[in-house]
Amino acid sequence: MTAVIGDLIYESWYLGLRTLRRFYRVPANWIGIIAFPLIQLFVFSQLFKDIIQLPGFRAGGSGSYLAYLAPGQIAFTAFFAVAWSGSSILVEYRNGYMDKLRATPIRRVSILFGELAPLFLESAVMAGGILALSIVLGATIRTGVLGAALILVLAGLFGMAWAGTSFVPAFLTKSEQATGTLSLLFFPIAFMSTAFVPPALMPGWLQTVNAWNPITFLIEAIRPLMVSGYDWAAIGKALLALGILGTVLQSATLWAFRRLTA
Amino acid sequence: MTSPVIEVQDLTKVYSGGTRAVDGITFSIQPGELFGFLGPNGAGKTTTIRVLATLLRATSGIARVAGLDVGTHPADVRRRLGLAMQTPTLDTFATGRENIELIGRMHRVPAAELKRRTDELLELMGLAQVARKMAGTYSGGMRRRLDLACALVHRPEVLILDEPTEGLDPQSRIALWGELERISKDGTTMLLTTHYMEEADRLCNRVAIIDNGRIVVDGSPAQLKAGIGADTVTLQLDAHGPEDLARQQTNVRDQLHGFEPLEAVTPESFGVSLSIRGAGRALPDLMRSLDRNGDGVRIVGLAVSQPTLDDVFLKYTGRRIRTEAADQPIILGW
Repeated sequence: MTAVIGDLIYESWYLGLRTLRRFYRVPANWIGIIAFPLIQLFVFSQLFKDIIQLPGFRAGGSGSYLAYLAPGQIAFTAFFAVAWSGSSILVEYRNGYMDKLRATPIRRVSILFGELAPLFLESAVMAGGILALSIVLGATIRTGVLGAALILVLAGLFGMAWAGTSFVPAFLTKSEQATGTLSLLFFPIAFMSTAFVPPALMPGWLQTVNAWNPITFLIEAIRPLMVSGYDWAAIGKALLALGILGTVLQSATLWAFRRLTA
Repeated sequence: MTSPVIEVQDLTKVYSGGTRAVDGITFSIQPGELFGFLGPNGAGKTTTIRVLATLLRATSGIARVAGLDVGTHPADVRRRLGLAMQTPTLDTFATGRENIELIGRMHRVPAAELKRRTDELLELMGLAQVARKMAGTYSGGMRRRLDLACALVHRPEVLILDEPTEGLDPQSRIALWGELERISKDGTTMLLTTHYMEEADRLCNRVAIIDNGRIVVDGSPAQLKAGIGADTVTLQLDAHGPEDLARQQTNVRDQLHGFEPLEAVTPESFGVSLSIRGAGRALPDLMRSLDRNGDGVRIVGLAVSQPTLDDVFLKYTGRRIRTEAADQPIILGW
């Protein structure tokens, strides 16, 4: 058993380093991930500057709309970091590189772990980029370095869990185009979260949606860390939501991966 | 007699669509042999290789590598195999060195040994100068050599190469043949597939001709060619239009009626080709027979050639091997 775990760690480590290399050596990868949340942060914080006057915003304690908006854009970044994560493994399935790996004496599932584990780092680092940029633009981080680290961990965990929404369609359809298109279907979940307005300003049905929206749990855990202080209840809820989401999506991913490589 | 390194008995693979890609293949490869699978695209070569490389399960039959069943001991088989598929499969965002090292690590080559082995292979394959460049920037020939280096990093007992020179320019092909001969001399057992006759003829100690999922004949290239017996004499005819050509071809046939060493007359666009046993000795008699009828046949060129594997293929399958590149199927659906 320990030998098996040792093998998995060794194989996933080196395959993971390769995945990271593939990511950072192509700047288009990370520029594309940062760009959209950054544009939203910049444009919306100006466009809806006065939205903060509405009664629903007062309770949050955010001093400006930018401060309200920033946590959501950090979550968006983690979301974009993994939205197309199934595509690269699919390309290698198609061009035969996966076969090359499978013809070596490694555990098949290491190939999947080697793709999945680096997503923690990719999501966390990308989210960190937006966190830093939002501070430059005027947002605050009340809990300091430790709070920032906690935000990155949450973003990383979310990225790993959410990646299943790309892996499962990728493995089942075996088509990059389908994977790209299907990931669009998940965008409303991000847009309907509390990234832009608090629940108090939403219609009833959207409030119900957000009681179940994992992205909302993530945002609601990050926001206090930035604007007020540690809210352990919110962090606990976020971790629980991410745990459930990750278990469900990654079980499905594992099943779809086994089916693909059977 | 030593035990074979690769042993395949009555191997069959039927794909879920019902295609019988491999239909009862039996062969074995002895240590140190360079064995070639020769056949057209779609003959079942790649399917057989994928079964041996543990990437595909056989429908029935036995396949063993170093005495180990590929179905029940896949990990042990993988440790002993080096594999290079039809198109080089590389991590294009990794350098040449990184590509070799990753495969070496997956094979658990110890770190110090891996460093030494990688240097050695980069040197051997002429890639030392570009070792720090991304594999995506490599030319076709360089990609092939890097792919081969990856397959050799763990010093496999058996090297399996699917169409190793497919898509290469003639110069790179000849260079790669040199590498393969050297690897074979070092004692590595090799199985390669090809649809290039010259390749099988030049490299392999033993060739199996495979067509429609079956081995139609196997033996050394020399044996197979000897089995053909006859040489080929091609006559280039000076003809004015197709009717004249047809008339002259008929004349050749008529004039050679009863000419004892003659086995076959095949009309060609340039004239006619004759299948003749011991053509060298029979040539003077042949020319005299053709001369009997004055200007009925106007010969402007003549060539004598020994049998080739192409002729062997023609004899056993009834057609010439197609040499066009494999079409990649387009995956439709989603």
